[in-house]
Amino acid sequence: MRLYEYVARRLFLMIFVLLALSVLIFYLTRGLLPPTTALAAYITPRMDDSAKLSVARALGVATTSCPSYSAFVSLQGGCVVPLWVQYGGWLENALAGNWGLTLLPGISGTDTTWHVFFSRFPYTAELAIAGAFLTIIIGIPLGIVSATHNNKLPDHISRMVSLGGYSIPQFWFGAVLQILFVLYIRVNGSGLLSANSTVATRCVICFSGVVPAEVARYSGIPLLDGILSLNFPYFWDSAVALILPALTLAITSIGAISRIVRSSMMEVLRQDYITLARSKGLKENVVIYRHALRNAILPAVTVSGLLVAYLLGGAVIVEIVFSWPGVGNASLAAADVLDINFLELYVLVTAVIIVVTNLAVDVIYAKLDPRIRY
Amino acid sequence: MKASEPEELRAGAGYGRRADLKYALHLLRRNPIVLAGVTISVASVLLALLSPLIVNPTSWNQQPLNLRLCWNNPLINWQIANVFNCGGSVAVYPLGTDSYGRSLLQMIILAIPVDLEVAFEVVASAVVLGVFFGGLAGYKGGIVDEVILRVTDVFLAIPGILLAIVLIVVLGRSLPTLTIAVLITWWPYYVRLMRSQVLSEKEKPYVERLRAMGAGGIRILYGHIVQNSIYPVLVQATLDIGSVILTVSALTFIGLTPSPLLPELGNLANQGIQYIFTAPWLILFPGLTILIISLGFNLLGDGIRDVFDPRLRR
Repeated sequence: MRLYEYVARRLFLMIFVLLALSVLIFYLTRGLLPPTTALAAYITPRMDDSAKLSVARALGVATTSCPSYSAFVSLQGGCVVPLWVQYGGWLENALAGNWGLTLLPGISGTDTTWHVFFSRFPYTAELAIAGAFLTIIIGIPLGIVSATHNNKLPDHISRMVSLGGYSIPQFWFGAVLQILFVLYIRVNGSGLLSANSTVATRCVICFSGVVPAEVARYSGIPLLDGILSLNFPYFWDSAVALILPALTLAITSIGAISRIVRSSMMEVLRQDYITLARSKGLKENVVIYRHALRNAILPAVTVSGLLVAYLLGGAVIVEIVFSWPGVGNASLAAADVLDINFLELYVLVTAVIIVVTNLAVDVIYAKLDPRIRY
Repeated sequence: MKASEPEELRAGAGYGRRADLKYALHLLRRNPIVLAGVTISVASVLLALLSPLIVNPTSWNQQPLNLRLCWNNPLINWQIANVFNCGGSVAVYPLGTDSYGRSLLQMIILAIPVDLEVAFEVVASAVVLGVFFGGLAGYKGGIVDEVILRVTDVFLAIPGILLAIVLIVVLGRSLPTLTIAVLITWWPYYVRLMRSQVLSEKEKPYVERLRAMGAGGIRILYGHIVQNSIYPVLVQATLDIGSVILTVSALTFIGLTPSPLLPELGNLANQGIQYIFTAPWLILFPGLTILIISLGFNLLGDGIRDVFDPRLRR
């Protein structure tokens, strides 16, 4: 099988996985919850029953033959549109990008689910990308050092970090960091960060003391917008605000990646071609970084698909601990008010990201390792 | 023969269950870290079993308001302005009180069995589901395998915590639904693990011999193949107890809790996040308890893996 045939087959399967997931989520949110839940974002208590009924009809939840709103609420026979018919209409709207209204406020004001979600999503993306970056630049070197100094001090430290990463509750790690930097690591009698968060309207948190000028929202990602609009105080503030949340998010995956790199590196270092490279008189650094690392890094590439799922899931907790204005934080608010439109969009966007990343990882893996055949 | 060399001891001790046990004990003595893991996990289970005897379970009711968020343990000075010192209460609260005026130490002791019970239920059910469906997928192959794998694909396509949030929202907030929500995100991993085990095990000659003797598929699969390939699953189960406690406490921490009063480690920490700079003990100690328990089970799992995985015996 050629590469493009393989990709085509995977894309084909991917559609079915996503469809099945959409059925599952639709059944959970619309089938198991009362049908009135779907109306929450559209009706107010002041509306009279006929107005509510026409909203329910317009949304495709109530049938046209339904006599009254109270009959709809009490699930009278023939009043609620069958679930599979609802699903058809919902899927059509969803694919057209029409995800209805939401009860949640957006960053920039508009009130459709799609806009609210994607005005917040860049913050989550920034957090997840920063988390992935930290995982790679800390986790991989940690694994390498651990393997090359097997059973010596660096190995013990690295294994401790890795074990700690697996065992530490992320919310607790984030809280400990906050307590340390706000209460106990003192500069001029107070913590490094200010406890009474003076949130200005124009920057996320203004550490630099200078309130920067209005920042254009090119991408919605604060770091990127800061650079693009050449607003360095804003960039600096966003970068400082990002460090602790990103570290908290990355702590678990740092442990996972370093453990995988360590074991595969140890496996590779035992092989004959490494002995050959050493006997040629190559420097140890060249042997490790040019010869061994290339093969040792492969298992780490395969789990990076899993890593994305880890980071996007962990973002929910980190966003709560650090009051990060991303979608994870909003999803909790959505869970409180039963805003099912938002939850559905959130789950499906995340699923698309993860499924596409997994496919990309498999393709990259095949490119890196010529032994792989489909 | 040097007793400190596990490989040689292994060779000298021969094979079989008794030898494995002997080797396990040897590993325990040799490796203080594994010993620490065993100690922590056994101690936490014991503490969980004894907790109704140590702390009166009714003490998780709301206490007088003048005991809210106070600290009168002289051993730690938090160096925070205006720490409330329990209004001259005679009783000393070793870990302070929470936002309902309850002793945090008592609440943590009451919370450990709650978390451990959920974790054991989730892992045990996930193992059962994994063995059943994974075994079936690996042994039958073909269309059964394909269907089971695609179903797990669906569940693996979203982060577990997201699916759990949706499930708890839909099913309502209670301990059983919390357990079910975490279980639903957890079982696919066991299906995959068991399937890969069975795939390699079913090619072995003894399976063919059983088939020649006329044994039925169900008997071969669940009577013989599963018995011989379940060790990696059990090791994973031990490792996962820590992870499940982390997930459950994370879910209650973000507010998906049956009751704000319930003594559960994530729930206690959830109260604490509001008072993080005025009463830091309220988030520090429940989180530390979670860390210690999950560390204990992770170390235990690592140790058991060393015993059962011959490739790691060097």
